[in-house]
Parts: sequence; C-alpha cells; structure tokens
Amino acid sequence: MPRFSAAMRDQADGLLWVSPWVIGFLAFMAVPAAMSAFYSFTDYALLEPPVWIGLDNYRAIASDKLFFLSLKNTLVYALGTVTLGTIVSLALALLLDQPLRGRDLVRAIVFLPTLVPIVAVSLGWMWIYNPNTGLINVTLRAVGVEHPPNWLGLPGLAMGSLIFMSLWMVGSAVVIYGAALRDVPVALREAAAIDGAGPVSRFWNVTLPMISPAVMFNVVMSIIWSLQVFAIPYIMTKGGPNNSTLVYSMYVFRSAFEYGRMGYASALAWLQLLVTLALTLGLLTLARRFVYYRAA
Amino acid sequence: MQHGAGPWEVSRRAAMLAALGAGVGYVFWPDHTRAARRAPRGRIELTYWEKWTGPEGAALQQIVDWFNQSQDRLWVRLLSVSDITSKAMVAIGGGDPPDLVGLFTFSIPVYSAARAIMPLTEFAHLGAFELDRYAPGIAALLAPDGMPWAGVNTCYTLGLYYNRRLFLQAGLDPDAPPRTTEQLLDVAEALTLRDAAGRITQLGFGAILPPWWPYIWPMLFDAPIFDKLANRCTIASPGCVAAYEWVQQSAARLGPAAVRAFAQDFGRSMHGPGDPFISQRTAMIVQGPWVANFIRQYSPDLDFFAAPVPLAPGLPEPDRPRGLLEADVIMIPRGCPHPEEAYQFLQFTQRQDVQEKLCSLHCKPSPLREVSEQFRRTHPNPAVDVFDAIAKSPRVSVLPQTSVWERFADETTSAFDAVWDGADVSATLHDLESRLQRQLDRAADIRRRRDAARGAG
Amino acid sequence: MKHPPRQPVDAHGPHSPRRPPRLLLHGLLWSVAFIFLLPLVWMFTTSLMPEERSTSASLSPLPALIDDQGRPLSILEPRYYGALAEQAADNYSQVMQTPVADFRRYLRNSVIVAALSVSGMTISSAVAAYGFARIRWKGRDLLFTLVLATMMIPFTVVMAPQYLLFKHLDWIGTFRPLWIPAWFGGAFSIFLLRQFFLGIPRELDEAARIDGCGHFGIFCRIILPLSRPALTVVALLQFIWCWNEFVQPLIFLNHQDMYTAALGLQMFQSQHGGVPWTIVMAACVIIVLPIILVFLLAQRTLVQGIATQGLKE
Repeated sequence: MPRFSAAMRDQADGLLWVSPWVIGFLAFMAVPAAMSAFYSFTDYALLEPPVWIGLDNYRAIASDKLFFLSLKNTLVYALGTVTLGTIVSLALALLLDQPLRGRDLVRAIVFLPTLVPIVAVSLGWMWIYNPNTGLINVTLRAVGVEHPPNWLGLPGLAMGSLIFMSLWMVGSAVVIYGAALRDVPVALREAAAIDGAGPVSRFWNVTLPMISPAVMFNVVMSIIWSLQVFAIPYIMTKGGPNNSTLVYSMYVFRSAFEYGRMGYASALAWLQLLVTLALTLGLLTLARRFVYYRAA
Repeated sequence: MQHGAGPWEVSRRAAMLAALGAGVGYVFWPDHTRAARRAPRGRIELTYWEKWTGPEGAALQQIVDWFNQSQDRLWVRLLSVSDITSKAMVAIGGGDPPDLVGLFTFSIPVYSAARAIMPLTEFAHLGAFELDRYAPGIAALLAPDGMPWAGVNTCYTLGLYYNRRLFLQAGLDPDAPPRTTEQLLDVAEALTLRDAAGRITQLGFGAILPPWWPYIWPMLFDAPIFDKLANRCTIASPGCVAAYEWVQQSAARLGPAAVRAFAQDFGRSMHGPGDPFISQRTAMIVQGPWVANFIRQYSPDLDFFAAPVPLAPGLPEPDRPRGLLEADVIMIPRGCPHPEEAYQFLQFTQRQDVQEKLCSLHCKPSPLREVSEQFRRTHPNPAVDVFDAIAKSPRVSVLPQTSVWERFADETTSAFDAVWDGADVSATLHDLESRLQRQLDRAADIRRRRDAARGAG
Repeated sequence: MKHPPRQPVDAHGPHSPRRPPRLLLHGLLWSVAFIFLLPLVWMFTTSLMPEERSTSASLSPLPALIDDQGRPLSILEPRYYGALAEQAADNYSQVMQTPVADFRRYLRNSVIVAALSVSGMTISSAVAAYGFARIRWKGRDLLFTLVLATMMIPFTVVMAPQYLLFKHLDWIGTFRPLWIPAWFGGAFSIFLLRQFFLGIPRELDEAARIDGCGHFGIFCRIILPLSRPALTVVALLQFIWCWNEFVQPLIFLNHQDMYTAALGLQMFQSQHGGVPWTIVMAACVIIVLPIILVFLLAQRTLVQGIATQGLKE
C-alpha cells in the first residue's frame, strides 16, 4: 500500500513538474495548430469573421503557380544549404581537429557568425553583394573581371548567392562535428592506420561511421531550419528578382499579412508542416539503417 | 569546465561586464532630446504613420507642427514606417492600429474591402467631407464606390522627364521631346551611348527604370487593364498586347540584357545623387513630379524639363494629355483609439492652404479644383503645369481599383520581366489575365458569400 | 554524461602516417579564419567611412580623409586617426540621433524583452527538465519524445494562428507575445538541462530526502546549485536567440516605440528613400556588439553547450 501511493505521488509530481511545458505546448502550439487546421477550410480576411469554404483553399493551392514556385525554391535552398553545408562543416571540423597552433582561436572565429543577428547578417551580405561597391565585385574588378554580375539582382544567381552566404553560418555544425570527432577512439584510427588504410579510406571507413549520429543530427536540423527560411530572403531580396527567391515561408507570410488571406495561409502552413514531417521522418527511418550508434 | 582564472582573465571579464553594464545604463538613461516630439501634458496624442522620410517627411512634419500649434487639444505624432502597406494591415488586423495612416489610392479598395478603414461619411456630424472640392480624377480615386474613404495628401501624375543638355549633345531639339511611342524609341536609341566593351554608359530610355510601374504601359496605347464595372481583367486585350510588344521592342532595340545590367547598377540609389536621371546617366525617364524636388536638392543645375508620356501614333491630343494619376492618401483605421480627433486632423490637412503648402514642398501639383495664384507663382517645380495638366485632363488613367490589387501588381511585375526577356507577349498576357481573373472572381465570390451570411445573420 | 572520456586532444596527431604537410594545414587554417572574419571586419570598417563610400568602390579598409585645408591625410600621421575617430563618431551619432529611428529605445526594448524571456526560459525549463529527469512516472518518455518532436515544427505553421490567438488575448502590439511563451519552457533548453540533471548522482537526492526534503527542496538545494554551467548555457542561448529574433517582432509589434533592436534595424534600412550603407553598417555594429561581448565573456561555456546538442543518441 505505501509503495503504491508513493508511485501515485510520483506520477502526480512528475506531471506537476512538467506541466509548465505541457500548458505552453497546448496554448502556443497545439491550439494554434488546431485553429490553423480549422481556418484552412475558411476564407478569413483578418478583420471579418471566417466564412466556411470547404476545400476551396486546397483546390486553389493545386492551381497556384506561386505555391509550386515557392515550394521549389525552398527545396532548392534546402538541398543547397544542407549538402554544401554538410561538406563544408565536415571539412572545417576535420581541419580544426588537427593539432595546429591557434586552432582554438580559429574555432571561435568560425563559430562567431552563428551568433550574429540575422538582420545584421543579411544587411552585411547585401553590402558585400552590392553590384557596384560590394566587397565581392570590387575584388573581382581588381583582379580583372570586367563585368562582375549583380549577385542578388539576377534571377539565375540570387538563390545561389543566398546559399553561398549560408555557408558562413555553419559554425554550430562545425562545433558539433568537432565534439564528435574528439570522441572517436584513437585506438580505432591507429588500428586502421596499421592495417595500411590511407587518410581517405580511414575517413570513410572509420571516422565517418563513428560520427554518423552527429551527421544525422546536423542534417535533420539543417533541413528543418532551411525549410522554414524566411528572414534572409525577406530582408535581402524580398523574394525577387522575378520571384526567384520567393521561399515558402515568405509566401505564407505574404498570403497572411499582405494579401490578408488568413485561411489560405493556414492551408499553406499545414502543407508545410506535412512536408517537413515527411522529410524528417523519412530521414530518421533511413538513419536506422545507415547510422552507427555505439552502445552507450 | 574548469579553466585557469588568472588575474588577466579576471580583469578581462571585469572589463567586458563593465562594458555591458555601461551599455545597459546608456540605453536606460532618460533621453531628453526626443521628448520634444511627444505630446505636452493635457493633450490627446494621435499617432500618424506615414511612408515618407527625408525631405518629404520633413515637409509633412511642418504640416503636423502647424496643426499642433494651431490648437491646444490635440497633438499629432508623425512616425515614418517602412513597408507600410503590409505593416498597417497587420496592425489594424491585430487590433492595434495608429490613429491615422498614410497610404496610396490603390490601397483604398484593398483596405475598404477588408473593412480596415472607416468611411469618412461616418464623421459627417463633425463637418462633411466635400468631394466636389477635388479635381474630378482625384474625387473618383478617393471614393471608388461613391463613398469617400480617405483624404488626399498630395497627388502625382507620371510624365516623361528629359535631359535637355543630353538632347543637345546628341543633336536633338531640346524643346521637342518625343510625342509618340515610335519617336521615343528612335530618340532613345540616339541618346544611348556604349563603351568599347558594348556596355551601356548612358541610357536613352528604359521601361525598367524605375522598376515600380510595370503596369503603366498599356495606357500609352489607350488600353485599360481592368474593367471595373464588369470586374474583368483585360490585360490580354489587343491594345495591351500591342503595348507590351512595344515594351519588348524597346528592350530589343537596345539589348534586354544590356539595359538590365545598366538598370541594376542603380539598385537602391533612386532619388538620391546616384539616381539614374539626376546623375545624368539616363536621358529620359517616366517619373513623378517629386523628382524635381530631388533634382533641386542634389543637382540644381540639371537642365531638364518634363512632357506628357508619349502615346501610340494617332493618340496624342495636345490639350488632353494622358498619364497615370495617383495620390497619396490619409485614412482612419477601424478600431483606432481616437477616430473623431483623427478626422479633425484629416480635415485640417484638406484645407486649401495646407494642401498647397505640402504639395509645393513636395514639388507636386495640387489635388484640389481651386488653385491659388500664389501656389502657381511660387511653385518650385518648373514643370508643374505639365503634371497639373495631366492631373486635370479627362484622359487621365488610374490604377485598377480592386481589392486584389497587391496580387495584380506582383503578378504583373513577373509578367513584365518575362516579356522584357523575350517571352511570347500574347501567351504571357493571356496566362496572366486568366490568373488575375481567377483572383478577381474568387474575391467577388467571397464577397457575395459574406454579404449573404451577413444578410442571413 | 554518457559518452566516454575525452582522449587527449593531440594523441592521434603526430603518430599518424602520411598526413598533409603542416605548412599547408596552417595556411588553410588561417585562410579559413580570414574568410570567416572578413564580413564582420568589412562591416566594421565600412561603418567608419564617410558617406561617399556608400557609392564609390574601394577595397581599402581605411577611408581617405582630408584635413581642414582639404589636403589628404596620410595614415602615418597621428592626425589621421583623430579625423578617423571623428568620422566614426559622426556615423555612430547619426545612427543614434536619426529622427526616423530611436535606436536607444529599440535597444532598451530588446534588453527588457531579453531579460523577461531569459529568466522565464531558464526557470521553467529547469522545472520541466527536473520532471523529466528526476521523477519516475508513466508516460514520461513518450512525452519527452513529444518535446523533442516540437523542435521540428516550423514557426510559420503557427505564425498565422498565433497571431490570431494573441489578437484575441489583446497582446498584439505589446511585448507579451515575445516573452510569455518563454515562461513555459523550450524544447532545446529542456533537453539540455535534462541531460545535465541525469548526470547528477541520485544518491544526493536520497540524502536530501532523508533530511526531509521534498522535490522542491531537492531541486533548489541540490540540482540548481550543481547545474550552474548548464543553466548558464540555457540563459545565454536564450539571450542570443531573443536578441537576434526578427520574425516574431515583425508580426507581433506594430508601433515604432515598441520595436526591438533587430526589427528596428531592418525597418531603418528598408525605409522609403534608403539610408547610406555606411550608416546602416554602423547600426549593424551597434546591434552586433553586445552579442560579441557576450561571446567573448562566455565563449567556452557556449561552445560546449552547442556541442552537447549532437550527443543525442
């Protein structure tokens, strides 16, 4: 009897202690998400009560050119930042794992940009990309390129420029890889080296499998982040030129707060949630097969 | 996490903490320099959002100061707000609007359909809003459905600015600006200069400079893009197709990529010393009267004049010029804290002397029917009569008055870019028209359902 | 923590055969440092330049300055630095005194919001993490999985409905949407603190229990004092997040008086008519500076906190 009541008390205490999170989750996530599901079946012009229109929003989405364009742009951005970001951050982490003088300082320097406010990052890079007086084009002209392009002003280049810029902010991935690399047992690498494996083969066959959980974590997190990118294109390009950087979140924002179509925006937002969930769950399933988890 | 905390480490920490502390202290220290802009004790403070900054904002501040000194009950606080069209909508929708908001006439249908602003007829008991005081084009803009929704705060028309010095240099007559679209292209070509590499160094005329008006070109061909009565988008009509074919031709004559590269150099430098027309790198530009204001500020010696926009051959009538008429408007958001007081300020701004002072400071024509002799005589814009004649011409055009205007503008911009780069004009416009028509139909359908719901409830 | 003890950092270095030449590696290392530092340095040097720099191309990190007589000053002259400081002070005071933006107020607003949100996030996440780490109850692991899953929800999904929710609560245009949600914990903070709490020996709880402590007593007397590093990480990350946040202020704040520094900066830059880049960069430096100070103060703690993220197994 006393044991039973102790368990009961633990149950109550446990729930009590986690209740702040539960309440917050219900109030600021679950309820709004449910409201959003409801509004996605209405026309809601912000200042007037919603009108039920059934599946009309979803039907309209199916023939909305901007929906497909913004989805495509977001996937391009995600693909670009995640693949390039993973390669660059792994390379940086490997470099910073070498016993070199001053690497602690360089590690800090690589990490620093991740802390800079996104508004300042965006404005700073707008200045760097400035076609006439920006750092990049002035440098290019100085080395003899006569007509360097307008990086953010050309439909074919703007998205690439945003992706390139994202590589400046890989610092936290580098830190995570760095920690994972330090955990790879030296004995394993040395054993491989004695077996005659070269550095490349050691990386593929020993190091990479050992840090695969960190890779997985970073890939999943950066996919989630890049799928909801908003501030950078909002500040730097406003979605232009010719909608080439109109990303999905920005289209949701525009629908809600510029066109005043809350219902339509809610439908778009729900599709975004589903796409994100599908991609992440798909990756996590893949992870079960490819990621090596050491017994803890 | 243990690490050596030598004396150097400690003093570095102390220095940084002190710096942070000093920063916090600084931002929390009372700031008296800005207190002067706040309402004196006992007055009701009205918040007024405007898009203008710089000299235009300063001009409006003069009007606000005038009002604040003219009585002792109200105090208007003017704030410049960027991205104002969406910011105002979000604020009104969130139930936290300013008392007054300065937008554009094309915002009126959008905001009135969303019930975001109050019709001025609601304030009739404080003094009627007299629509017949305004030039007919302006009155129609302020009251798209017959009911006035906004006061006007300066108006503008678009004309063709041309640089007389560059005309002379190219052997052209500086007193004979092009009258037809054909002439415009010929003159533009004659005024365009290139460097050895083929890069444009001086542009005669480019329809993408400035990039804000991709939808004005059909008016040069007497082709409306919207039929308000039928709620139909007509941007694929033969006239519009001809207009955008002309745009495409204008690009082709000079090289679409070359002009784009030239235009992109300007980026955000419009209306400053680096403005393409003010810096004399573009010989002709379709712009509003305010450009004269920036010219007198940044390049007072520039030898320029303005003319009505050139029209398709056969259309020009000297005493009935065409052009786009638009106005900056002042509106009262629904749900604002002080609507009646806001109306009092709005009425003040509509007085003839007040409006004339503001228009004159902005180098724009007056939106009112009656214009004082002094306004005419002392106006700083040498070409004000040109802009004024367009504003009061029966042939003037206005932008589509529809609640889906934002969408209209966004989509037209993309179509314009495609046409510029060589896409098939007719196909692009038909695609655009059907998409815009869907938006219009949808908006009309929702309106019907809403009205039905309101009628039933 | 569960992972094996750290290896001495250099252990796998010198013995490994066929490693790339050290000179090459050093070259690489410092070019990486140069590239990553360059944008911030460029931002800073631009903020010192006279306004003409906004429209004229130059690679020089220092501006060309002239003295009262119009003679160019050499950078070897001490007077040059006086003129430079004057120029810089002029740019920065332009930012602080511009009539279109009140940066002092924006910074103040950011400090207020950050203080409220940091304290809320730290306290509430610690409480929730305690419930997940130190009390056994049915459904705990399932609920914790849900906590982690919320990290996957894009903000845009709840952006529009949250706006409507706050509209009903009359919170739009106040700071409340920016800090009240922080008082209900955040997924990442809870995760981080739970990991840390799990590493504190349970025997300590038992000892306290014998002394008559309940959960609250254990939490206050044992867990919190032992978790200072983790709590610091949570507080710092929340401060940085809050200082940098742009989308939420953009949607939930309306009046200029309420703008946070990040939002004010964007509004300042995008205003009608434009602002010279030198002034924009000066404003950027002002916003970035507190973050850099915090980083220099707590670099090690921060980096370790970030590194823990990847150790979820």
